[in-house]
Amino acid sequence: MPAPCSSSPAIEIRDLCVNRGGAQVLKNLQLTVNPGEVYALLGGNGAGKSTTLAVLMGFLRPTSGTARVTGLDTASEAAAVRGRIGYLPETVALYETLSAYENIAYFLGLSGARPTRSEMDAALDAAGLQAEARTRRTAGFSKGMRQKVAIAMALLREAPVLLLDEPTTGLDPVAAADFNRLVSGLRERGTAILMVTHDLLGAADCADRIGLLAGGVIVEEARPRGEVDLLGLHRRLGEAATG
Amino acid sequence: MRLGQELRLFLRQRLAVPTLVLLALLSTVSVATGLWEVRRQTETIARIQPLQAEEEKAVSAWVSREGDAGNAAYYTFHATWDPPAALAFAALGQRDVAPYVLRVRALALESQIHEGEAYNAELALSGRFDWAFVATFLAPLILIVLLHDLVSGEREAGRLQALQAAGGSTGLWLRRAGLRLGLAFVALGAPFAAGAWISGAAAGVSLAALGATALYLAFWALVCLGVGALGRSSVANGALLAATWVALTLVLPALAHLLINSTIPVRQGVELTLAQREAVHAGWDKPKDATLNAFFAAHPEWRDTPPVLTGFHWKWYYAFQHLGDLSVADQVAAYRRGLEARDAWTARAGWFLPAVGLQTTLHRMAETDLAAQLAYQDRIRAFHERLRRFYYPYIFNETPFREGDFAKAPRWAEDG
Amino acid sequence: MSPVLRIAANELRLLARTRVAQIAVALVVALSAVAALTAISQGRESQEIRSRFQAQADREFDGQPARHPHRMVHYGHFVFRPLPALAGFDPGVDAFTGSTLFLEGHRQNSANFGDVRQSSLLVRFGQLTPAFVIQALGPLVLIFIGFGALARERESGLLRLHLAQGVGARQVLAGKVVALAAVAGLILAPALIALVWLALFGGAPAPAVAMLAGGYAVYLLVWVLITTSVSALAPSSRSALALLVAGWAVSAILAPRLATDIALAAMPQASRLETDIAIQRDLKKIGDSHNPDDPHFNAFRASVLKSYGVSRVEDLPVNYRGLIAMEGERLTSALFDRYAERQFAGQREQSRMALILGLASPTLAVRSLSMAASGTDLEGHRRFLQQAEAYRYTIVQGLNRLQAEALTFSDDTNRNRDPEAGRRVRIDPGAWRRTPDFVYRPASTAEALTAALPGLALLGLWAGLAGSLAWGAGRRLARGAG
Repeated sequence: MPAPCSSSPAIEIRDLCVNRGGAQVLKNLQLTVNPGEVYALLGGNGAGKSTTLAVLMGFLRPTSGTARVTGLDTASEAAAVRGRIGYLPETVALYETLSAYENIAYFLGLSGARPTRSEMDAALDAAGLQAEARTRRTAGFSKGMRQKVAIAMALLREAPVLLLDEPTTGLDPVAAADFNRLVSGLRERGTAILMVTHDLLGAADCADRIGLLAGGVIVEEARPRGEVDLLGLHRRLGEAATG
Repeated sequence: MRLGQELRLFLRQRLAVPTLVLLALLSTVSVATGLWEVRRQTETIARIQPLQAEEEKAVSAWVSREGDAGNAAYYTFHATWDPPAALAFAALGQRDVAPYVLRVRALALESQIHEGEAYNAELALSGRFDWAFVATFLAPLILIVLLHDLVSGEREAGRLQALQAAGGSTGLWLRRAGLRLGLAFVALGAPFAAGAWISGAAAGVSLAALGATALYLAFWALVCLGVGALGRSSVANGALLAATWVALTLVLPALAHLLINSTIPVRQGVELTLAQREAVHAGWDKPKDATLNAFFAAHPEWRDTPPVLTGFHWKWYYAFQHLGDLSVADQVAAYRRGLEARDAWTARAGWFLPAVGLQTTLHRMAETDLAAQLAYQDRIRAFHERLRRFYYPYIFNETPFREGDFAKAPRWAEDG
Repeated sequence: MSPVLRIAANELRLLARTRVAQIAVALVVALSAVAALTAISQGRESQEIRSRFQAQADREFDGQPARHPHRMVHYGHFVFRPLPALAGFDPGVDAFTGSTLFLEGHRQNSANFGDVRQSSLLVRFGQLTPAFVIQALGPLVLIFIGFGALARERESGLLRLHLAQGVGARQVLAGKVVALAAVAGLILAPALIALVWLALFGGAPAPAVAMLAGGYAVYLLVWVLITTSVSALAPSSRSALALLVAGWAVSAILAPRLATDIALAAMPQASRLETDIAIQRDLKKIGDSHNPDDPHFNAFRASVLKSYGVSRVEDLPVNYRGLIAMEGERLTSALFDRYAERQFAGQREQSRMALILGLASPTLAVRSLSMAASGTDLEGHRRFLQQAEAYRYTIVQGLNRLQAEALTFSDDTNRNRDPEAGRRVRIDPGAWRRTPDFVYRPASTAEALTAALPGLALLGLWAGLAGSLAWGAGRRLARGAG
């Protein structure tokens, strides 16, 4: 296994093309996310956001081009790559008959880790899951609580890369703001975060860069801190979605 | 019309038409195999009559030379048969293991009447693929496929609220369930109706069989609706209904069988044949007078015939044959009571286990159940009585039995 | 712990916390236990009844008074088919065959008083035996518990969460297989205990017990693999459930009945009555003892006279009537054997044809294996019929020989006219006691295991099929996980 080069970007996508069912979903996509950076990928339905995540997770092989995570090729070293990624799907699935602790212990155990209770508590504290919920079965957990469990897992695994799929969809405004604060906190730890969303305001709130994905390419990139023209971006997002 | 609209909607569903076609196909195949089996049985019955006539001629050829009526009664077999009822094709029942053709002689009957048929027990163990089987076991499964997602399917497709907003209420679900039930019933019942017509069954009993089946299907439709009303997902409904089906058609009937057979043991069959043999053969060693006097108590009309003086006389022989039967009459009755009690408890179980109820009803209508088997035995007993009474005058009056006398023997009549 | 075991352990923990799974497994285990207890106790009881009846029949035969030997030929003998030790586990066709046979001279009776004719229609619903519970209900419980194993996790996203931990799709599949196999083991446990009990205390042969245990384990494993694979391959958990229940219904409910009808339609058998008549006719063709000018019996007399060097039957040192009886019995028995052989061959063909449909039904395959190894298949009944017929021939010919050797021709001829002759033909009843009792020789273990081979082969085929299905499902799952 080639050792990851510490100086390389956490996520590096070069000339990525993916064809699915005869249609070209991604066309020469270029994307780089560095450690400690939050990148928000915006786009309408069918823009290629989920495909990008699937390629990064190694679920999907690129038709051409490469995708690397901490320097590892996602296609040829999928298993190793997955070990470095913390992944939050749109709805975090947990075993409902298991408690938060049990879920974490089980899923981490799959990769051989054995976190102690205090390590789990530390991660859950960082993720912000209230203590009394941790021993409860997750059947009644809200989406936000489930995300916190998943983030705790990513923290425990010390994953250098976090992939977030529509993390704030379906969250109430308070919970969404809470989540965005959490993401900002993770950035401080040096995690590279790629967030797929269509929540422009939320993205603007916590992302370092925003990429507008349309028709399989990034049509526009912006840095929200400073000069971003939110309204203009919003309009172009709409145009990209319809056009 | 709204029902027509529902029909179009239903038939456009992916599983609807294949499921109904499958049921119609299974029903048709079962009716066809049933008709084939019934024809085979009818042909067997038709085949044995000329065979039997030739047998009789062969016996007559040497017996009438000496004219000994005892030999005639001893060597002549008389065929009996139990033709399949018109609906037998739909529920073949016990006719695979119980003989529907049986020959008897004027000797002791109890050693003849329990005779079995030659059949392949491994195949009997599996049972037959008849219409009653399709109706009882497979039709409910088909209904479950059609009805388990009646409401939950709409909810999962996100249409439930829209349907309810559009005034869809109990009426809508009943209409939809009724439609599916009706179509399943037609797919199941039409081949049966055709089979009943082909075999010339009376309209009354055919309709009654269809009615019982309709009730059975309606029961399952209600179960489906009831489970659906719990508001679970389609897959949970499917699992729960399949489990209910297993319990009601496999597990509980098997438990009932276990319970009935162990609470009502039937051992008299073996006991009575053992006892009857003892009684018959003890006749050889008893004083002839004692035997004959006992016989004359049952048949006083022969009391004044010439006495037996020689070492062997047919009078005496047939007397102790009959006494053997009489000696076990109580056991025969007890045996029969045991069998009837088992049957009666099964019918009672049918009130709680619809599958048992339908099987009992259909087999009764098809006259292929235990009761029909016992009724056939009753007719054999009556026939045997006629046979004895036919031979007795020749034997007791020592009248020569000649060729022409063979034709005078009682013949098995299908109406008993 | 490897990921596969971890996944399996977790799956079992989840099942232990799911009420439906708890109830389903508890019910089938309870049912299996009840079935095992009742089957063993009923088997023992009916074996006791049969041996009691057999003892009674032996005693009655031995206790007959002085008689003409031919009277004893017609007095006959009753024999009862003993239940094999493993009938408590799988009674097989026992209920569907008569268990007692009346043996007498120049007649072949049917085995009578089988449960099937003494029971109501309920007997057709299946008997609650350990074999039935595992054959029919075991797979169904596995289906109910396992249909969602992968389908539901794929629907919910839990599968992806597994893969995101760096676990391979095949490992997930393997973990679910291991977990479901553990459930299968639980379902099998009461039956295994019953089998071990029968081996230790019931005299069941250990190799047959091992064969049964192995056969049923493979059978349930086949369903474990099929269930998990279909769960992995089906588009949704709902279609997985539908597919699996349909497959089960075909295998356990539909195929056996269809097989029966196909076999019966392809090879119908003559009714007993027709066979009787055919035997009578053939007999008359060979030799008619009622015909004084019958060529066969004339030739027989000539050869007997020649071999003793006398010219009249009255001058023979033996009773010619006894010789005639022996010759007659020899002829009828040869015909009985020939027709029985033909009938057995026909039935074997039918059963073989029905078993071929085991290609469509693992249940048929395991049922065949189970009955054969338990000694309760049709072959066991045939063995009883053949041994009973051989015994019948032995005792009848023994009695005929007594008639030939212990009686004089003139006494035998004049027994009804001359009371003294009539007294002399009644021979000492010690002869009845010297007649051997019927001893049934059950299938040897080797024979039982050989008979179980076709079922085992079919089951092996199914295991291969299910294994490759699971392999293919693993590949599909790994490829289509995105």
